[in-house]
Order: sequence, then structure tokens, then C-alpha cells
Amino acid sequence: MKPRLVVAAAILLSLGGVASAHRLDEYLQATIISLEKDHLQASMRLIPGVAVSSSVIASIDSNGDGVLSQAEQWAYAERVLGDLSLTVDGNSLRPRLVSVDFPGIEEMKEGLGEIQIEFTADLPRGGPDRKLIFENHHQTRIAAYLVNCLVPRDHDIQIVAQNRNEQQSFYQLDYVQAGGSPDAPLLKWWTSVRGWIDAVGFTSVFRLGMRHIAEGTDHLLFLLALLLPAPMIAVGSRWAGFAGVRHSLLRILRIATAFTIGHSITLALAALGLVRVPSRPIEVLIAVSILLSALHALRPIFPGREAAIAAFFGLIHGLAFASTLGELGLGRWERVAGIFAFNLGIETMQLTVVAATLPSLLLLSRGREYSVLRIGGALFAGCASVGWIAQRLLNVHSSVDLIVYDVARHAIWIAEVLFSISLVCWSLRKLLGQPPALSKCESETALERI
Amino acid sequence: MNVLSMRMMRGAGAWAAIWLSVTAATAQTATSRIVSAANTFLSTLDEKQRQSVMFAFDDDKQRARWSNLPVSFVPRGGVSLKELNTAQRSAALALVSSALSRRGFEKVQEIMEGDEVNKINEGNNPIFGKDLYYISILGKPSEKDAWMLQFGGHHLALNITIAGERGVLTPTLTGAQPALYTIGGKTVRPLGQESDKALALLNTLDDSQRKQAILSYRLADLVLGPGQDGKTILPEGFKASAMNQRQRAMLLDLISEWSSIIHESAAAARMAELKGDIDETWFAWSGPTTAAPGKNITAYYRIQGPHLVIEYAPQRLGGDPSMHVHTMYRDPTNDYGRGLTKK
Repeated sequence: MKPRLVVAAAILLSLGGVASAHRLDEYLQATIISLEKDHLQASMRLIPGVAVSSSVIASIDSNGDGVLSQAEQWAYAERVLGDLSLTVDGNSLRPRLVSVDFPGIEEMKEGLGEIQIEFTADLPRGGPDRKLIFENHHQTRIAAYLVNCLVPRDHDIQIVAQNRNEQQSFYQLDYVQAGGSPDAPLLKWWTSVRGWIDAVGFTSVFRLGMRHIAEGTDHLLFLLALLLPAPMIAVGSRWAGFAGVRHSLLRILRIATAFTIGHSITLALAALGLVRVPSRPIEVLIAVSILLSALHALRPIFPGREAAIAAFFGLIHGLAFASTLGELGLGRWERVAGIFAFNLGIETMQLTVVAATLPSLLLLSRGREYSVLRIGGALFAGCASVGWIAQRLLNVHSSVDLIVYDVARHAIWIAEVLFSISLVCWSLRKLLGQPPALSKCESETALERI
Repeated sequence: MNVLSMRMMRGAGAWAAIWLSVTAATAQTATSRIVSAANTFLSTLDEKQRQSVMFAFDDDKQRARWSNLPVSFVPRGGVSLKELNTAQRSAALALVSSALSRRGFEKVQEIMEGDEVNKINEGNNPIFGKDLYYISILGKPSEKDAWMLQFGGHHLALNITIAGERGVLTPTLTGAQPALYTIGGKTVRPLGQESDKALALLNTLDDSQRKQAILSYRLADLVLGPGQDGKTILPEGFKASAMNQRQRAMLLDLISEWSSIIHESAAAARMAELKGDIDETWFAWSGPTTAAPGKNITAYYRIQGPHLVIEYAPQRLGGDPSMHVHTMYRDPTNDYGRGLTKK
């Protein structure tokens, strides 16, 4: 093998034919996605140019023996998949390798080798309007990305739009899938409301804003975690007793408003291009914000300053909203209208969520059962946030998205159950004449019981 | 009586003569010309050569054995012009020419000549040259049954399926490097029309049409190059249903740079099909919207319809992207004439 290598190198060097026939200093990575009813398939062709092939080969040949063993090939393919980000409706998908095909090492050195990777990923069931996002971050520095989608064979799938960034490292596919999820009553209501909104002439950006909140479970989780202790009074380092309806309502209103003001500011600044922040740290900070508000729901760490915290993290969440808005590629003028409509959409959905949970919170918070909800909810949000932080910071796969997605999918059902329970508790308390609030020591025993 | 019979005899003779010449003319169809050119070519070969030229019609490996790359990197099947003697070589080129239009064959020769220029530019690099083009035949040349003629090498892959009177040119790859050269005082751009006509069409689009036609992202290479048979990607860009009469005519004229490489009657049938599809045909552009005078564009473009994918992809390798281009001509529903031969 060695002499052949030497000969190949000699030919390349002496004749300079390299430049004319071969890819040069780019690492071409072409992906073609094929969308099916419940899964997707994708084929990737990876062709390192002659000037970068040795570094790519070195990264595959981990033991440096000049041979790309089967194990090294699969390990590399797994690493490529690890550098992809694949989501549908905001939920991470887990790509699985189907096949791996490597060219000879000499071919690769000459810039002619084509690595072929095929993978598949299951698609969770979802609503009719779906959004697939494919991001490729493999060898960004030298990469030339291509990404396309085949015309779906399944006639139930209708493509609405494709959007890419300039490098094609980001690819978004909007599609409508007929026969997606069974028509829940709320979905029907939602569809009719949407029909009305369309008829009235609201822009699709408004819908995007609503959807972003509805599907962006991390934003909602932050807000909900922050609302959990809102009806409570902090005494020292404990949450003790019910703060009263008026006080609770005011505080919830203040938190929601502060969050809105915060994210509106950064959304406007970022969408107008006045601020530019990479999305990775923002995503991590959002997860951190959930962790903080979850901790706060367990023990008051910033009592009385919830609004300020909400405003501060609102600034962070706004930057994430802006990246969604940025994907639309709106013009300067459209953007101003876009920010307004988008924000209005976010607000509407936020208020809907607050309105759906508020009665339960107020009813429940008068009794000791509330600790169960507060602590249970806080633990859930806390675990999810830790999972997200690990996923976004260390690039490891976790099942957080899938679990949260499953919970979020049943959000309406959960809200209904929660409301029923809170009604039952409230009526029982009325009948039995229990004291309206927990004393300090009672809350402590409740904590210890958990 | 005698006079009458003489007249009748003469009349009958005249009719016979006309009838004979008519049948002779109809017998000499494009397909029969190609078949007889193929048989002539095969008859010049010795047994060993004939064996390396002939493949089974459904040999999928040989069908797909083509590339934009030089033959030393992706070996082609069949025999190269280099391995043939003068008589065999001219019979081979006569066969290729019989399957193509005049302009089509000229284009092929210009691409091959360009590779010769490339060879000289690259210090007489033996991986290039106009004799490193391979010919192969899949199936038995026939006026009735389907068979294939392949001809190609660096920057060229003609896959011609003949099925009765039908002729199919997809998939076919053309490319050029250098994309502009002078030979005998004449400036040649093998794929110059592909560049100029596309730019002219782009220039007729108004701002809002341009906004749709010009993609917001970079395209580094062909999406459906070698090995990507039978794939239909989502079309993008500006749809011809929104073009005016003149723009549509320009688009069809641009398409004809590929569709009319094949001989006239097959090209006419293909053009009729593409005309029928015109409302569903898309034009997409990525990259600079101007070109230096007399040079090729440096932008990528794609034309896609229900039975068509054309890609024009300038190559950055070698410095000036206007000097190096790969193009692809496909019908994802009819690769290697599968749509005709599979019932």
C-alpha cells in the first residue's frame, strides 16, 4: 500500500493536476432527506477535498495505523450523527445509523473518496402542521453543506416551505401531515380559531409566535416554574402559607408582564439586527433559567424579586425567539410588523397557558396538597433543565426532549385533571372546614414527606 | 388497346418507383441509421474488443459507471478511443454522431477537445486527453428492442437509450475545463450557451420574480450528480407558470441546450414533453448574477420539472469558477429509459 501512496502523492505533487480534477479545500457534505409517515431516512455523502483529507482521515483513523477499520468507520459515522441536530416540532430526534460505506484511504487522500452514511429517525406523532429542522455542525470550519428533501411518496405529506441559512448548515422544512393526531376537542377549537384568525387577516407570523411558545416547552416550563410559588408567602427560607387571592393575582400579573417586557426588548433588538448572539449559549442559559426558577419553587431564593428575575430571563428568552423569527428571512419593513405579530402570538399563547393553570393554582394553594404540586412540578422542571443543560452544553443525547414532549402532548389532559383535583380538594376543604393555610411547621412536614 | 396497355404499364411503373422510394425513405429512420452505425462499428472490432464493448442491457453496474472525474479515478466500461485503430475510431465516432444532433456532436467534441487543452495546461498530464473517452453498448443494437449506447470520460457521460423510434438521453453529464479556450485562433466555450442563455433569462426577471428565483443559500456542487439516479428533490425557485410568453420561450431554449444533444426526432419528442410540463417547471439560481464579458457565469442554477432536472454547477477548484463547470441533465422518471422499457 505504501508504494502506491507514494506514487499517488508524487503524481499529485509533480503534475499539480490536483486543482483541476479534485475537490480542493472543502469538505463537501451533501444530505438528502426522505420523509415518511412515521420516520425519516437520510443519505449523506461526505467528500473531503484533497487539501483537507489528511486531517479528516486522521480524525477517522483514531489509532493512527493507516487503516480505517470497521469499528473506526462506525465510530466516525456516529460522531457525524452526533454533530447533527434533528428536531421535529421542537423535539429532538435520535438518528440511528443504517449503513456506512467508506472509500479506500488512497482515494480519500486524492480528494475523490466519498463516504456514504445512511441513517433513519423515528418521527413522533404530532399535529397537522409540522416543522422539521436539520442542522449539520460537522467540521463547520471546512464544510460545504448541501441539504435537500425528496418529494414525499406519502401523499398525506404536503411540503409547505423550505428554509436554509446561507451555508445550508441549517435547514427547516415546514410540512402538513394529514391524519396526524386524533382531533382533540381543543385542537378542533384551535383549528377553528386559527381559521378565524386567517380570515381576519392576521399574519402567519402571529401563528408562528403562538406555536413557538406552545411547542417551545422550555419557555413554558420556565414560566410555569416561576408561577408555582406565586400564590405562596416566603417566610425565611421556606414557602409558608397562602398569600391571598389578590396578592397572588398581582404577583402572577407582574411576573407575566415582566417576562413579556424582557423578551420584547431583546426580540426587537435581535430581530432588527442590532444584537447578534450565537444560539448555543442562549439555549444553555434558557435551561439555566428553568433550573433557577425550579429551585426557587422549592425554596425561596429570590422572594419578592420574581418579577425582576422574570424580566432578566425574559431578555434571554427573547433572543431565542428572535432566532426563530430570523429564520423567516423577512425584509426590514416586514420585520417590524413581524416582531409585533410574533410577540402578540407569544403573548396570546402565554396568557392562554396562565389562564388554564391559574384557577387550579389558586384553588389548590389554599391547602397543604399544594406542596405536592409545587415540589413535584419543581422537581420535574429541575430534572428537565439539568437534562437540557447537559444536552446543550456537552452535546450529549438525553431523553429529556422525548419525556417533556410526551408530557406536553398531554398538557390539556393534565390541566383538566389538575383542575378537577383542585376542585375536589377545594370542595372537601369547604365541607370539612380545614384551615385555609398551612402553618410553618406543617409545610415543613409536608416537605419532609416528599 | 396497345397504347392503353403501354400507358397502364408506365403508370404502374411510376407508382412502383414512388412506393419504393417512400418505403426506402421511411426505412431510413434515425434508429435504423444508429443501428447500422452500431453494427458497422462492432464489425470493425476484434472478438476481444467486442466483448469489452458489449454489456447486457440491464447491467445496472455498467449503466451507472460514469462520472465527472477523469477515467483514471473512476474507470469506465467499454473501450477507449485510445485503444482503437483509425478505422475503428472513426466508426465509433460515426456511431456517436449518428445518435446525436449536429450541435450535440459538436458540443461533445468541444468538451473532448477541452480535455486535450487541459492536458497540455497541466503539463501533459496523462490522466487527461481527447482519446480517453470510452464507448460501450448495452444490449444488442436493434430497431425494435431497447438497447443503450454510452460514451464518456472526463466531464462527459452520454447515456443514450434507443427503444424503437424513441431516444432517451437521460442521465447525461456535460462539463468543461477549461470552460473557455482558443484553438486555431477560434475561441471555444463548450458550455457557453448554457451559461449565456441562463443569464439572459435571469436578466428578464423583474425584482419580485428575481426574489423568488434567486435562492438565499450557497450551492457548492451538483445535488443530483453521479450516483444519484431516480431521485426527485423538492423543486425550488421561480415557477414558469408565472413567466411571460417570452421568458418561457427563453427557458425552453435554454433547456434545449441539453435536450437537443440527442438526434433531431428524439429531441423533438422530448421537447414536446417538456413544453407540456412548462407550467410545472422551476428555475432557481444561486450566486453572482453577472458574468465577465465573454466568460461563463459563476453561479449555480437548476431547472426542474416533472420530467426534468438540469443543474449547472461551476466548480471552485482550479481557481476561477467561470473556467470549470459540471452540468447534469436528468429525467428522474426515466433514467436509462426505464420509463420506456419497464411496463
